[in-house]
Amino acid sequence: MIPVLLGVSLIIFVLFNLVAGDPTAVLLGKNATARQMAELRETLGLNKSAFAQYLDVVKSAFTFDFGRSWATKQEITHMIRQGAYPSLCLSIPAFFLSTVFSLIISLFVAYYRGKGIDLFIRFLCIAGMSISALAYILFFQWFLAFKLGWFEISGFEFGFPDFVPYIALPAIIWILLSLGPDVRFFRTIILDEIYQDYVRTARAKGLSELTILMRHVLRNAMIPIITYVVIQLPFLILGALLLESFFSIPGLGGMTLNALNSSDFPVIKAMAILSSVMYIIFGLISDILYTVADPRVKLK
Amino acid sequence: MKKNSIWKDAFKTLSKDKWAMISLGIVLIYSLIALLSATGLIAADWAQEVGTSNLPPSAEHFFGTDIFGRSVLTKVIRGTQVAMSVGLATSLIAIPIGVILGALAGYFGGWVDDIITWLYTTFSSIPNIMLLISITMILGKGLFAIYVALGATSWVTLCRLIRGEVMKHKEREYVQAATAIGGGHMRKLFLHILPNVSHIVIINTSLQFQIAIKSEVILSYLGLGVQGEPSWGTMIDDAKLELARGVWWQLAGATIAMFLVVLAFNLLGDALRDALDPKLKGK
Amino acid sequence: MTSTSLLSVRNLVVEFQTGEGLVRAVNNVSFDIPAGKTIGIVGESGSGKSVTSLAVMGLLQKPAAKIPQGEIFFNGVDLLKCNDNQMRDLRGNQISMIFQEPMTSLNPVFKVGDQIAEAIRIHKNVSNRQAWDKAVHLMNLVGIPNPSASAHKYPHEMSGGQKQRVMIAMAISCDPKLLIADEPTTALDVTIQKQVLELMHKIQQELKMSMMFITHDLGVIGDIADDVVVMYRSNIVEKNNANAIFTEAHHPYTKGLLACRPKLGANPKRLLTVSDFMTEDGKEKQVPASRIEVYEKENFIDHGQKVLLEVKNLVTQFPIKGGIFGRTVDHFKAVNNVSFKLKKGQTLGLVGESGCGKTTLGRSILRLVEPSAGNIIYDGKDITNIGHEEMRLLRKKMQIIFQDPYSSLNPRMTVADILMEPLVIHNEGGNKNQRYNMARELLEKVGLNASQMNRYPHEFSGGQRQRICIARALMLRPEFVICDESVSALDVSIQAQVLNLLLDLQSEFGLTYVFISHDLSVVNFIADEVGVMNAGQIIEMDKASSIYKNAKEEYTRTLLSAIPKGETKRSLASLV
Repeated sequence: MIPVLLGVSLIIFVLFNLVAGDPTAVLLGKNATARQMAELRETLGLNKSAFAQYLDVVKSAFTFDFGRSWATKQEITHMIRQGAYPSLCLSIPAFFLSTVFSLIISLFVAYYRGKGIDLFIRFLCIAGMSISALAYILFFQWFLAFKLGWFEISGFEFGFPDFVPYIALPAIIWILLSLGPDVRFFRTIILDEIYQDYVRTARAKGLSELTILMRHVLRNAMIPIITYVVIQLPFLILGALLLESFFSIPGLGGMTLNALNSSDFPVIKAMAILSSVMYIIFGLISDILYTVADPRVKLK
Repeated sequence: MKKNSIWKDAFKTLSKDKWAMISLGIVLIYSLIALLSATGLIAADWAQEVGTSNLPPSAEHFFGTDIFGRSVLTKVIRGTQVAMSVGLATSLIAIPIGVILGALAGYFGGWVDDIITWLYTTFSSIPNIMLLISITMILGKGLFAIYVALGATSWVTLCRLIRGEVMKHKEREYVQAATAIGGGHMRKLFLHILPNVSHIVIINTSLQFQIAIKSEVILSYLGLGVQGEPSWGTMIDDAKLELARGVWWQLAGATIAMFLVVLAFNLLGDALRDALDPKLKGK
Repeated sequence: MTSTSLLSVRNLVVEFQTGEGLVRAVNNVSFDIPAGKTIGIVGESGSGKSVTSLAVMGLLQKPAAKIPQGEIFFNGVDLLKCNDNQMRDLRGNQISMIFQEPMTSLNPVFKVGDQIAEAIRIHKNVSNRQAWDKAVHLMNLVGIPNPSASAHKYPHEMSGGQKQRVMIAMAISCDPKLLIADEPTTALDVTIQKQVLELMHKIQQELKMSMMFITHDLGVIGDIADDVVVMYRSNIVEKNNANAIFTEAHHPYTKGLLACRPKLGANPKRLLTVSDFMTEDGKEKQVPASRIEVYEKENFIDHGQKVLLEVKNLVTQFPIKGGIFGRTVDHFKAVNNVSFKLKKGQTLGLVGESGCGKTTLGRSILRLVEPSAGNIIYDGKDITNIGHEEMRLLRKKMQIIFQDPYSSLNPRMTVADILMEPLVIHNEGGNKNQRYNMARELLEKVGLNASQMNRYPHEFSGGQRQRICIARALMLRPEFVICDESVSALDVSIQAQVLNLLLDLQSEFGLTYVFISHDLSVVNFIADEVGVMNAGQIIEMDKASSIYKNAKEEYTRTLLSAIPKGETKRSLASLV
């Protein structure tokens, strides 16, 4: 995990410190003098050797001290702490519900595998996945919020339950977006298990198809499914970039997009590093859960 | 006639699959449109005014006109060129990198595997969208940046799949048999193992292609994509402001165009997997 | 339907919808299983025996499988007219089943005790506690040591034989009237096979159940079946009581099946095969007198031939990883200090159970696995440490035929390409046309048709594929061939043909063989000298002609006694 973190730091460093042009010109505008630019480079630590700059990136990955934003001049750590709350308010319920719905639907289609309803839902999944996320957001925001007025068009309020009306529509869109790929994935996993020999044994015992599916098959299928779910958790903190920006939710996703528009390197770097760290940590957790869920794998 | 029979079988299965053939047809039509557009034979005059501003769809203007009175249909066609070129360029970058690294890692194992595994774990631990944003932002807006960004993110899946599959095949007895008759590493890897895992490349490409198209739309929407030329993403971006005024046809045009080709690639990918992956036979 | 029959199958037809249309897997099959009796159903793979049993269980995969005709009466009730709920009540309760693969037939994530108890809970009105206690009791009955602790184990913590015992415990948990066993011992080692067979027989007697025992090997059921049904190409070709089948078989296929299994102590020069008794279209034919002569095993005639291969104190070990960082903590010696000499033209048989190191030994000799210590001397030259290029050139002389004819041929290459590849690698055999002709000649020599040169492996049967593997190994005209379980994956009837082929080729090309197998009767038939392996070592080595009579080691005697005896009591001559 440490080599991977060093690797992530290396990619970030190469992109932002080596490939990217001199940011001072952008930051100071067209009328900047050479002296101003030199001074700024000094303050930003861009005059250090390449290796020292790389070490700075590595250090931030371990200490989570990302410095200040170029655009807002705020502490980035502080900005992240502020943005995390709205992001999680949206992502946790949406993710939880979409996973539960997907699992229920995929068990349902696995039970009726090969039948008309299975084919129909599979097609619906593929069709749903083929529409751009942007189209979903635009259409639902325009239709349900703007035209029908059922939901807030945009905005956010802190504190439960005040935020609920604001996150309801983005959460519904989130769920719709996730159903397609999740149902397809879960269905494949479940069907992989249904054709195993032990299922035949269970049938020979006289168990009903439903018991076999809900007890024998699901227990085995849960192993890859848990891994799949856990590995997605770190993306929850990132929030949903597009949803947050469309619905003006002041979360981390929106923050990232703002940083993008103002060439705010430190914030983008911080978000990239933070999400990688989370990804690595949850990867580890998912490995541990895997060994817990599967008696065949012993914790080494 | 020497033809690889697995492919022949697969083609036979595919040709019986109505949906797969329709999908293939759609992909071919889109490719043709993209090709004609790229050579300037059609849609070269997309910037020309053909009517007044924001005309709704009609017999004359199939998808209506945009705010500058340009034909939305012509813009959709021009956007097809962008979308297909992104898919193609991504595949051209991802396939060689993914296949070669995956094959080397899976076949040789040891430190070669350690390094390559480290490389793709590193790439995959930065969320795709962050990496895409970072690369396009650094390289400057435009198609080139999108090619590189999507290429850099899409080889990872292929590499991981190829590595796993090569590892499995390396232990098969037919590879040991090749050793026993005196075959060297290159023969075993390139003549024996790779042909047996090549279906993964086909299946994966079909899926990566549509992911690339979808990603281009999002990047263009974020203002990181093509500049000064219509793409489905920028058209949807325009629609954001137009919708409130009831101008829905730019959104519809771009979405339908994209829906058809992405759906086709999805269905084709599924059909290819069913036909080429023996593990899934009979499901 | 006879009044004493528990199960009565009448005119059963089963068809499968495939890509090539409707295929009839079971054709007009009728038989009875009387209460308390064991009936053996014998046939090669694809003969329809398993499909018949699945039809009785109601476990055929619908909608691909169809039963257009027939009745299956169980206790007077036609099972084919029962609905799903009625069948579920019977399954696991009155009729239960054991499958071939103990490794995959148990659910990996549940404790074995739970899996046995589950069958009890759904059919009997008992508490969880009672069901668990009954499960432990059953595990004791099927001979699993320390049952109350073992019930808490997961399947992967048990050996193959123990898992099959668990399957038996599960199958008998509700005191079924009929137990169907589909090749229950085929995946097991011979000694374990014997124990499991004895256990099944004992339980069948004690519980007074009926048993339907399905196998491809007549020898296996000799001791336990009352009646035998022989199936061939979807049809029943012969039905009789077990004694009569073994002593006075009528159908040529049955005679062929009985004759084709190698027998200790009665070695013909070549094995009889089904095709000696029967023409392609199923007509009986006269077996030539010369084919049924029985010879005492001949000793290898030593004309002072040179020693082709000498193995000295060979050790091959694999690291055992452990600890937090996956360091090597110990070594597992798969081959532990093995030595032997092999003369030109001789055959050494290596026999042992799975995990004894025989396969690793074979691969170490060819350096497909690198040995850790000791010497391999081939034709007077120590090849243990020669460079890869030199070894690569030497592979022209030393070849191997693998066990699994399905995975040992590259599915993406034609037979012609597969056969020509060795010549291409070593740049031999002239131009492309000459190579093609050589390949064609050899293909015909191993009994395949030259017109099949441009086909792909999946278009061939297991036996045919193994012939292709043999041809590939012989393309470079090697002197020395290792046959690693080369006939183990084949049906007994096909096995005999391939063994004969190997002997024919040996005399034609003067080959020297190391023949590795878990089956002592096969090794004894083909080899001049037999080495018995256990735990990485050759524990006993003797001439094939005498080892079965004067085995010195206890382990060898165990192996010998585990060989299914079924028909060995009678002479071959009685078959014809």
